[in-house]
Amino acid sequence: MNTNGVLAALGDPTRRQIFESLRSGPRSVGELAAGLPVSRPAVSQHLRVLKEAGLVSDRKQGTRRLYRVDPGGLEGLRDYFDGFWGEALARFADEARKEQG
Amino acid sequence: MSTTATEAIRKTVLVDFPPEEAFDLFTARIASWWPVRTHSYGGEQVTDVVFEAHAGGRVYEVTPDGEQDWGTVRAFDPPNGFLLEWLIGEASSTEVEVRFTPEGPGSRVELEHRGFTASGPRAGYAGGWDVVLAPFVESASKKG
Repeated sequence: MNTNGVLAALGDPTRRQIFESLRSGPRSVGELAAGLPVSRPAVSQHLRVLKEAGLVSDRKQGTRRLYRVDPGGLEGLRDYFDGFWGEALARFADEARKEQG
Repeated sequence: MSTTATEAIRKTVLVDFPPEEAFDLFTARIASWWPVRTHSYGGEQVTDVVFEAHAGGRVYEVTPDGEQDWGTVRAFDPPNGFLLEWLIGEASSTEVEVRFTPEGPGSRVELEHRGFTASGPRAGYAGGWDVVLAPFVESASKKG
């Protein structure tokens, strides 16, 4: 899992939409494409990026391949906020130092 | 299937202010130090950050277009600490708790952000990650 990958993957609005759809349950490429103004190949391409970022995983079920949110993706969100709070607290401490000095 | 709870984020910082002042700087005067350019929805458009000093209060940013909530104050106990319900989308929330304790002439500020769970979406959940991540991702990519 790499945070840059997660942020880059979710930096695209269509990928965020796909990721959101999967939060309500596993879907096939066809089902995802039906709800989006993009082609099936485009959806597949986006899914590949999301998969590489560790945000979604897939599994073959009969003749269909279903995609779902990978719980490991939460690690990416957590990592993101880890950096977020690290920076925020550093700024807080800087301000305290400035005012003291 | 088991519920996956990702470990909480914990951060500690030491400041020379006693807890009373550190608490005040973190809450009432949050706008004086919060890095809005990178840590907000509106980025450079943000003109103010408001932390309402009571349980049930809102924490939000102000831009010329209006206000955007970051979370809700669940507990407000100066100078010991506060608890926020930190929004990740409309119906998906996490908790941020900040504690201030005396340490020498200053204080220790401990932050915990918890509740990253994969229990699945709740009814009405829509665009949650979009809401929280879009502005941050944009500013993060601009920075790089």
